Amino acid sequence: MSDTPAFPPPPDVAGTSLSGAEPYVISAEENAVLCRSTGVEPDADGEAHPIYFYIATQVGMGVTVAGMCAACDFDIEEGPMMGSSSVTFERPLLTGQPYVVTGQIRSLTRKPSRLFGVMDLLDYELSLSLPDGTPVVTSRNSWALPRRELAQ
Amino acid sequence: MTAVGDALPPFRIASVDPEAMKVWAVALHDPNAIHLDRAAVAAKGLGDRVINQGPANLAYIVNMLRAALPGGVIRSLDVRYVDNVFEGDDVTAGGTITAIEGPEATCDVWLKAAERDLVIKGVAVVTLPVDPE
Repeated sequence: MSDTPAFPPPPDVAGTSLSGAEPYVISAEENAVLCRSTGVEPDADGEAHPIYFYIATQVGMGVTVAGMCAACDFDIEEGPMMGSSSVTFERPLLTGQPYVVTGQIRSLTRKPSRLFGVMDLLDYELSLSLPDGTPVVTSRNSWALPRRELAQ
Repeated sequence: MTAVGDALPPFRIASVDPEAMKVWAVALHDPNAIHLDRAAVAAKGLGDRVINQGPANLAYIVNMLRAALPGGVIRSLDVRYVDNVFEGDDVTAGGTITAIEGPEATCDVWLKAAERDLVIKGVAVVTLPVDPE
């Protein structure tokens, strides 16, 4: 006898492409405003705040966040929660530089949750590279998608 | 001089500004109302203050690292988001150097909210500037 609750399986979305259609360019003006919103001044030589690893990949990927959630059969209004982020920088991010965004969903795993009863753990990876293919950033994020309706 | 066991000088935001969340909502193309509308937060049973975007919280840790290790280059970050940050929260980012191998320092990093403690925890690797001596 298994201890695993009999939840219906989540959608099979592993391998779904998140690659963007157009390169993402970090605006110098937006970078300046964003830096100041976190309590620091922007770099005078055009280096963007490193947090653009997250912004550039999220905005530049081929689907909206709502669309990515929908692919997982999850309504964004239900409130996805960030679980983790990891990133490796090969070189600094620069304003005005076009970055090509590529990536995919790695997995969607359904599991019991102390907080929600049931949740899906969405794991996806996104990378930034220069138009000539030179790697710049590799990132991986996980989100918890509450599935309260399955716990009833 | 940088050594294993050194605490990194903290970076503090004394009161998280809801106006900053509007900047992040635009940058992230994220219109989620929990970052913009107190009524929306209340409707979800999450309190009565708007919730800061997770990447903004991580940005405070980045700011801490860059101020604590001037001239250093962040090579990697690996973090878990443990809790929310709300408007008006007093948050502090900090860390400790746990290893130095060649030019690279490995640091435990964290963000804490004064009211609720840990918000983010993780590990960062920073390439230190070359010491001219």
